[in-house]
Amino acid sequence: MAAAEQQPPAVDGGKALSALLGGIAQAAYYGKVDITEELLRGQLYPEAAPEEFRALRAKMGGLLQSIASADMDLNQLEAFLTAQTKKQGGITSDQAAVIAKFWKNHRVKIHESLVNQSCWDNVLKNMNWRVDLKSQSRHVDQINTPVAIVEMELGKYGQLRGEQLVTGVGICLCKSIAHRDTSGPFF
Amino acid sequence: HRPFYNSIQTCSSGLLKYALKIFSNLSSLQCEQIIQHLNHKIPGVNTVELCQRLQTSGIEVNVGDLAKITNTVSFLFSTAARNNLSTEELITALGSTVNTLPKHAIQVIRHVWNEQGKSVGVSEDKGNMSTVGQFVDIKWKLGVAMSSDTCRSLKYPYVTVALKVADSSGQITNKCFEMTVPQFKNFFRQFKEMAAVLETV
Repeated sequence: MAAAEQQPPAVDGGKALSALLGGIAQAAYYGKVDITEELLRGQLYPEAAPEEFRALRAKMGGLLQSIASADMDLNQLEAFLTAQTKKQGGITSDQAAVIAKFWKNHRVKIHESLVNQSCWDNVLKNMNWRVDLKSQSRHVDQINTPVAIVEMELGKYGQLRGEQLVTGVGICLCKSIAHRDTSGPFF
Repeated sequence: HRPFYNSIQTCSSGLLKYALKIFSNLSSLQCEQIIQHLNHKIPGVNTVELCQRLQTSGIEVNVGDLAKITNTVSFLFSTAARNNLSTEELITALGSTVNTLPKHAIQVIRHVWNEQGKSVGVSEDKGNMSTVGQFVDIKWKLGVAMSSDTCRSLKYPYVTVALKVADSSGQITNKCFEMTVPQFKNFFRQFKEMAAVLETV
């Protein structure tokens, strides 16, 4: 039996821990900055003393961070959690099961959030287009030339409104973009 | 030539002087670029490239200033064209600004206007075109982000796209942005659709 420290009492250990992990993920990965330690303690572990809860939150947060940082697959996760149950001051096998279930459900979303957090350049937030026919022009040869008007919204991840870029695209450029080599591994 | 004089007044004389001085230092090829843009023959003046070339030939100018200069000179020539000014009228209308310019600057303006002035057409109504630029070029690059300070194992592929766009005044700017691979597939699929529609219209 692992030498687990005194865990703060909770109504339903598994459910509370799962919710705690959820709360940690909300704050760390989903951008919900208003999920405070006090809020979590009050809702999930009301009987626990603040310092005990802080220690629990820190430990769970650290474990989740390690798992998320390595983007662990099931094998890695099992090995990691097993090692944690054998450590002095580690976790119980019940806790390990809860963590494993949580990661299985949230892995994709958390990884996506980490990917987005690492994107510091502009992203294409939105793109619309329409095709216009020039009905009058100074140059006779431009009349009845169709042109695609493309509206792109460029901005940083998390920014509400990006910069609008509206450009006309002629047929040549459209075709050259559309018919680029698409035989590579990603297509 | 009242309208032309009024137009000159709207340019600050300092900027106009600076603009003409730099303009006269451009090679004739570069002057032609500006005139050709006015004639809608090329989508825009590649300010960044022009700036680099000027700097290599020893002329101190930054991109921001060069953009202002291109605008000013384009504006000057197109206004002169609209008012059908002859070369001498143009030089006279520039008035006191011209007096302080080096002699060769006047000669360049004279030369450019003599050669190209007649062919500068009056620009069409830009009212509904003011916010629509023109796509000039697109480049893309596929990268893989391996690791970051918040995530040791990122391993995600992404496409970076660099667009060259000429705005309605002819200035060419570069816009750069990232897309995930699914986003990029959607992006190029949209262009495929656009090309198909353009062909059938």
